[in-house]
Amino acid sequence: MASDAFTRLRTTDFRGWVLPLLLLVSWEYTTALQWVDTRIIPSPLLVLETAWQWLISGQLVASLISSLWRDIAGFSLGSLIGISVGLALGISKVTNRIAGPTFHTLKHISLFAWIPLLTAFFGREDLAKVVFITFSTLYPVALGTLEGVRGIPLSQLEVARVYGFNSRQTLFRLVLPAASPQILSGLHLGLIYAWLATIGGEFLMPSVGEGIGFTVIRGRASFHIEQIIFGMLIIGGIGYLFNHLATRLETRLLHWRGRPS
Amino acid sequence: MAHAGTLQLNNVNKHYTVKGQTLKVLEDVSLSIQPGEFVSIVGSSGCGKSTLLRLIVGLEAGYEGEILLDGNPISGTSLDRGIVFQEHRLFPWLTVEQNIGLALENSTLSEVEKKRSIQEHIELVGLKGFEKAHPYQLSGGMSQRVAIARGLVNRPEVLLLDEPFGALDAMTKYKLQNELQHIWQTEGITMILVTHDVEEAVYLGDRVIIMEPRPGRIKREVAVNLPRPRNRSDIEFVCLKDNILSAFGFLHKPEFTTELASV
Amino acid sequence: MSASQQALPALRFPIISLNNGLQPLLARIEEPLINFALALILPLSILSLWFVATKEVWLPPQILPEPTFVWETLLDTLQSGELLTHVWASFQRVILSLLIGGAIGLSIGFAMGLSNTAKTYLYPSFSLFAQFPVIGWAPLMIIFFGIDEAMKIATITVAVIVPFAIATYKGMENVPSKLLEVGRIYKFSFWQTLRHIALPAALPAVLGGVRQGGMQAWLALVFVEIMASSEGLGYFLSYSRNLMQLDVVMVCMLAIGAVGLLFDVGLTRLEQHFSHWIPKGF
Repeated sequence: MASDAFTRLRTTDFRGWVLPLLLLVSWEYTTALQWVDTRIIPSPLLVLETAWQWLISGQLVASLISSLWRDIAGFSLGSLIGISVGLALGISKVTNRIAGPTFHTLKHISLFAWIPLLTAFFGREDLAKVVFITFSTLYPVALGTLEGVRGIPLSQLEVARVYGFNSRQTLFRLVLPAASPQILSGLHLGLIYAWLATIGGEFLMPSVGEGIGFTVIRGRASFHIEQIIFGMLIIGGIGYLFNHLATRLETRLLHWRGRPS
Repeated sequence: MAHAGTLQLNNVNKHYTVKGQTLKVLEDVSLSIQPGEFVSIVGSSGCGKSTLLRLIVGLEAGYEGEILLDGNPISGTSLDRGIVFQEHRLFPWLTVEQNIGLALENSTLSEVEKKRSIQEHIELVGLKGFEKAHPYQLSGGMSQRVAIARGLVNRPEVLLLDEPFGALDAMTKYKLQNELQHIWQTEGITMILVTHDVEEAVYLGDRVIIMEPRPGRIKREVAVNLPRPRNRSDIEFVCLKDNILSAFGFLHKPEFTTELASV
Repeated sequence: MSASQQALPALRFPIISLNNGLQPLLARIEEPLINFALALILPLSILSLWFVATKEVWLPPQILPEPTFVWETLLDTLQSGELLTHVWASFQRVILSLLIGGAIGLSIGFAMGLSNTAKTYLYPSFSLFAQFPVIGWAPLMIIFFGIDEAMKIATITVAVIVPFAIATYKGMENVPSKLLEVGRIYKFSFWQTLRHIALPAALPAVLGGVRQGGMQAWLALVFVEIMASSEGLGYFLSYSRNLMQLDVVMVCMLAIGAVGLLFDVGLTRLEQHFSHWIPKGF
């Protein structure tokens, strides 16, 4: 209803917009008045214009799709492996004792430190990038799943025993739902890391091809700052979108928890 | 009416080994429970009453002696022996219906029959209208009622109740005790209640079994031959309660060792 | 009996007579020893596989160097001081960024947590800033600062600000209002409330943020050093890779992991020390 929208509009706090608007305005002002070197800081209008050119030439869509398909491929694969690893470590004590220490130790090698080794084995093309994204997603998802499984109270496990659940039933009717808050939280984090790895991967493993990260890198190389800025805006926008979607999904799926007090 | 089972315990002994030391939890427990009986077990903490229940339902094993249901030794958990815990242990991501339905996951009934049984039991515990609610929307008493419905829906031969009302406030407790009694009379299955509340034990049981700790063993039995529903302020009721309480040394009187004749 | 004791049978020590004092002691060290042995299975298997792979030359030695070679390189770079120089360079950067970014992040977090007005103005912008992948700033930073020290510190600082600010803000927000009410009953001033209630209650969350910040800093550092640096572990890593010296690459990864581990352990200890009063769930 129009009145609902109006009420929502009226009660929205616009003071939060003050700071960003202020920045935007001062940005335009300083570049218009040439107070700063416009080769280094282009005017926002120039950025918009470049963006528009890119959009209508179809290049924007092409690079976006390239980056996104790698991201989604890596994320899906990494999540699948991550959940399996997390389940294995959480459910089986023996597996945890054998593989756990190695898993937790390797975790400390900073993500990007794997790239040089990765490029030696896989080259610099799409394969290497997807492998990197998969790896980055794996750890947060596995850790979240592990935490979720570990947190299942014994009391609920006993209920499953009393009603004669076999392993399959216990896994799908108890373990996965009970651990779902932490699994979803891990997936959320994994999504963020996946996007980070997508862009970082394109920065550090430059190759011929399309991608948002490449746009930024090439912009830097050719000193087209507006390309860098608009690339950054898209990166940020996608990141924001992912985050927003993930939060919405989490809230929907976890509705059974009720409102926290 | 569900088929009620005969439960027989013969010389049940159980001990734990902790760091090389042996801890005797149950000593020579023998018990004979008739089909359809309601037996209350009272005792202070550490008398092994909960352990006994867990042995009967099959959540723990490693005991000496025999536990027989209808003449057959029990082995592990089974849908013949149900349990209601002190915490409701409902799955928070399922609705009331689905939680009760968990008990029927491994039953051989058809979908239609399962649905009917679930609905029957929701009404039995007085929760009609709450089928689609989630546990977070229910009060403590309501959650426990769902737990009771879940315990009954697959028609076990024996229902064990481990301090089911311990976590509830006094008024809800009285209400649920009444309802439990009514359910027992309707369903007719064997029920074993473990509690530390002597009044509850006398109110609900056909007989009260007193256990003492270290090691856990049966001290004595008190038969409750009062008509139902019982009156808590009835003189006979109070005398029986005193009788049992004296076993714990809470009355400044010497212990009764013989049964009182009914007045 | 602990669950782990039920999972594995106890070893029988081949000693005939043990008095009561010795038996529990042996029982206590038995379990950690078993755990340790189990934990070694996987690494040792991988190591053996690695030996076989290099022996049979499944991959060219430029891609997969021999384990012994890597070990020698490790000793070499340690002795010559080369490795430690780079470690020190990276370490300095992280510490500096942690201090600067920490100060900024804490200020923002406190401001948002303490003042509703500040929160209203700052939170939306901050939230947008927080969701932007840190490394995205790098190219812009390079333009502004070139590729010298300032750029690296700036980028890592940005990475640090976000976890610090969020943790501090959340920590302040989650100070239980019940405790604040107690302060009101005893007529606490603003500063008293801050000192006696809010800060101690928020401290564990803040320290959690410090740990997160450390992790993010290390992540950003490696990235920045690979991208644009002439010394530091990330640089050493990337440079060796370009020379196809994979043995050095592995040594660097080891060093990065080791320092990362130390950071994490140290900061976790710090966090635990100040959180000892929190009742643990399990």
